[in-house]
Amino acid sequence: MNYDVVIGIEIHCELKTKTKMFSGSECKFGAQSNTCVNEIDLGHPGTLPCVNKEAIKKAIQACAAFNLKIDPLLKFDRKNYYYSDLPKGFQITQQFFPIGKDGYVMIDCDGERKKIRINRIHVEEDTAKQFHLDDETLIDFNRAGTPLIEIVSEPDMKNGKEAAAYVEVLRQTLLYIGVSDVKMEEGSMRCDVNISLNRKGEGFGVKNEIKNLNSIANVQKAIDYEIERQSKILDEGGIIEQATRRFDESSKTTVLMRKKEGSVDYKFFSEPNIFPIRLDDEWIKSIIDNLEELPDEKRERFKNQYDLTDYDIKVLINNKSLACVFEEVMKFTKNSKACANWLITDVLAWLSKNNVSLENSSMKPEHLALMINMIDDKIISTTQAKDVVLKEVMEGRNPEDVASEKGLKQVSDESSILKLINEVLDEQPQSIIDYSNGKDRAVGFLMGQLMKKSKGQANPGVANKLLVEALKSRIIK
Amino acid sequence: MNLEIEKNIYDAYENAKKLNEKLNNIVTLVDPKSQIDELKDDGLLYGMPIALKDNVNTKGIKTTASSKILDNYIPIYDATIVKKLKAAGAITIAKTSMDELAMGGTNLTAFTGPVYNPYDLNRISGGSSGGSAAIVASGVVRLAIGSDTGDSVRKPASFCGVVGVKPTYGRISRYGIIPYASSLDHVGYFTRNVFDASLALEVLAGRDDNDMTSSYKEVESYSKLLNSNIEGKVIGIISNVIEAISNKNTLDLFESLIKKLEEKGAIIKNIKFDDDLMKAILPTYYMIANCEATANHSNLDGIRFGVRESGNTTEEIMINSRTSGFGSLIKKRFVIGGYGLLQENQEKLFRKAQKVRRLIVEAVKKSFDDIDCLIAPASGNIAPLVSGSDIDELDSEYLVAENHMVIGNFTGYPSMTLPLGFEENCPIGVNITCKAFDEVNMFNIGLAIEESTGLKDLVAKVK
Repeated sequence: MNYDVVIGIEIHCELKTKTKMFSGSECKFGAQSNTCVNEIDLGHPGTLPCVNKEAIKKAIQACAAFNLKIDPLLKFDRKNYYYSDLPKGFQITQQFFPIGKDGYVMIDCDGERKKIRINRIHVEEDTAKQFHLDDETLIDFNRAGTPLIEIVSEPDMKNGKEAAAYVEVLRQTLLYIGVSDVKMEEGSMRCDVNISLNRKGEGFGVKNEIKNLNSIANVQKAIDYEIERQSKILDEGGIIEQATRRFDESSKTTVLMRKKEGSVDYKFFSEPNIFPIRLDDEWIKSIIDNLEELPDEKRERFKNQYDLTDYDIKVLINNKSLACVFEEVMKFTKNSKACANWLITDVLAWLSKNNVSLENSSMKPEHLALMINMIDDKIISTTQAKDVVLKEVMEGRNPEDVASEKGLKQVSDESSILKLINEVLDEQPQSIIDYSNGKDRAVGFLMGQLMKKSKGQANPGVANKLLVEALKSRIIK
Repeated sequence: MNLEIEKNIYDAYENAKKLNEKLNNIVTLVDPKSQIDELKDDGLLYGMPIALKDNVNTKGIKTTASSKILDNYIPIYDATIVKKLKAAGAITIAKTSMDELAMGGTNLTAFTGPVYNPYDLNRISGGSSGGSAAIVASGVVRLAIGSDTGDSVRKPASFCGVVGVKPTYGRISRYGIIPYASSLDHVGYFTRNVFDASLALEVLAGRDDNDMTSSYKEVESYSKLLNSNIEGKVIGIISNVIEAISNKNTLDLFESLIKKLEEKGAIIKNIKFDDDLMKAILPTYYMIANCEATANHSNLDGIRFGVRESGNTTEEIMINSRTSGFGSLIKKRFVIGGYGLLQENQEKLFRKAQKVRRLIVEAVKKSFDDIDCLIAPASGNIAPLVSGSDIDELDSEYLVAENHMVIGNFTGYPSMTLPLGFEENCPIGVNITCKAFDEVNMFNIGLAIEESTGLKDLVAKVK
């Protein structure tokens, strides 16, 4: 390809607060339409905004996580435009003095680590949601006034993969520090991509904006398509027009929404109803000091603290609540490998099969740890754990109780096992002959018989060793 | 409830209704019955009938701001001051007429038509709180709420012969007041004497968490602290205003008041501001007010409340509702405001106006290093005729004499107008302005003025 690709991303992210940015009404996704609204959200005459301190705290956490400089003088501005989803006819935002400036994140893409700069993070309020039907428009004002941060990157990305990695890092981090739900499918995180192509060595090309991408996969697909589309136009000597586009999922293409006819003048001016607020330095510091562990930090710590494979670490870090449970379980066991294994495979499988989320499951970390320890101490077998004990543990039961109730005691005592082995061998003379003829399969068969006789309680490791010894001694005779 | 108090309320209600036929100062009469039934405790204003300017939101009671676009608007919440007044036992009997959306100084632009001056029905009441000024002046109620963005309480107070108070910015919550220009808007009110004025502020003032610009400063017992001893108080005459006024009667009335204040022990000084700054007050005010107003009123679009015109799309509905819902003066101001905010103009219009405002505030602030109070006639003349001659807005008498009270809005300083005297049986007022949150001094000097003029509890005989 003969073109340099320049990609910048703007992300709108709903902050996880109980109430709205400038009013006391509740923020609740999925509530019945127009039930989470008051006179302020509806822009009634005479209402005034009141800044939500919790939202500012969350914005500061985001700034800290992405290394932005925080402006301790909080100021808001009005962005004026008329639209039926904008109750006041203006949006309160931070045009002139964003709460955070000049930060960055590190992304890993194709085995390389790359720095993506963040230009700014500012705080603003969300609009209402519109539903255009055939002959009418319905408006749900529940979303109106929901606190948002907008995270604006520098144009530091070169392809869809990098863009996807950037969005993923942001998503994961914001989730980790509890700033947002970051559910792209529910719209609590929304992504606009700016992309332009220019011939190598030439200046920036003409920018196209792809609006409202609703998944990370689509970010990558939309960019890949757009690069292809613009390259083709340029190859043919055409001119790229500045426009706003959207990604069409069914055709996997970007579709023209509107051509930019000069930029819109939003007549920004400072919000007269909110005087500049001097944020207390101590308060800012305490927010930064108490910031939850970031994914990168956790990854490093897991590497040093636990004996885990890279794959296990990756799976755990990508699933914050799983990582959290992992650490809870690890308080009661030393076997990190087994702990990760159980969680990543059997526990997740059980949850998904029973349609329960990890947060809502009744499993107690100490019970899972106890089960792992019982296996390690050869009190129960892995098979017993998988087949019988785990599902009880997942429902909140103590594995010791389960084991004794179901008679699941693994027998590791050599003399008891040897007694059973001799019984089996006495009953199966043909197998001894098969074994002496070199048929190793006979061991498997005999083990099966042994397990049957012991009701599955014989410790397989011990039994196997003793069985082979017994077979050999009988052949010599 | 005491029968006498109840009768007093109904008398006021009937009186308001009757006088409205002549004054045209009421948008909505409010039947006091349910309020009387709900009245519980003894409060500072227990059983006192009052009126509210029609930009004060009253839950369940139509509130139009005298604009067609809000002609069907029934608020879903009470303004903070409405709650405070209720808690103090006041009974609202009327929502009063105003210039449309509080933009104007004549009260000729109300959707319900002009408000007439109780002293002379051929004259204007002044605005924008003209309906409230008239209802107090005509003796119907002792207290009526107004709002003051330029001089919208203090000018009609002058024309109607009543006391008009605009306390410090942030002293009274603005939550629930349909705005004009947020950085200049103040809740104000009218009474017929200084004592009532001091009492009313005790009820109205105080921090409101719904208004981030409201002050945490403690509310003082203004009525108990009231004291007309002004010995040693330094009063500064705004000499630019005196120089600009050509009406000898006004100047004589003012001079005689100053003499009496001097006799009471006040120290009189002349304060001369830069004339260019004084002349810049009006254009600066217009630019800031119109820019803020155009944004403040963008919510009036017929979508969620208010009068909705039909249209095929939400955009068409908004355009049609706004086109039909506003008077021409409002549209003119929106155009000016929108123009001043355009990116290409903002630096040389809106932001420049904000800078000039700061210069004026600095100058006024500095003058207070040496004085306790600024004083000047509230207007050069009595109320103009309704059919009045055209005003030359560039004439320096108009620019300075008729607009100096905007200083109180630029600075946010407390300011009040009191009756000064009469001409052709029509009143004219005097205005004083004090330092921020110095309402105690303002009321005390106001009381000294009231004693000096003897003009207290005036009631117009409406003919």
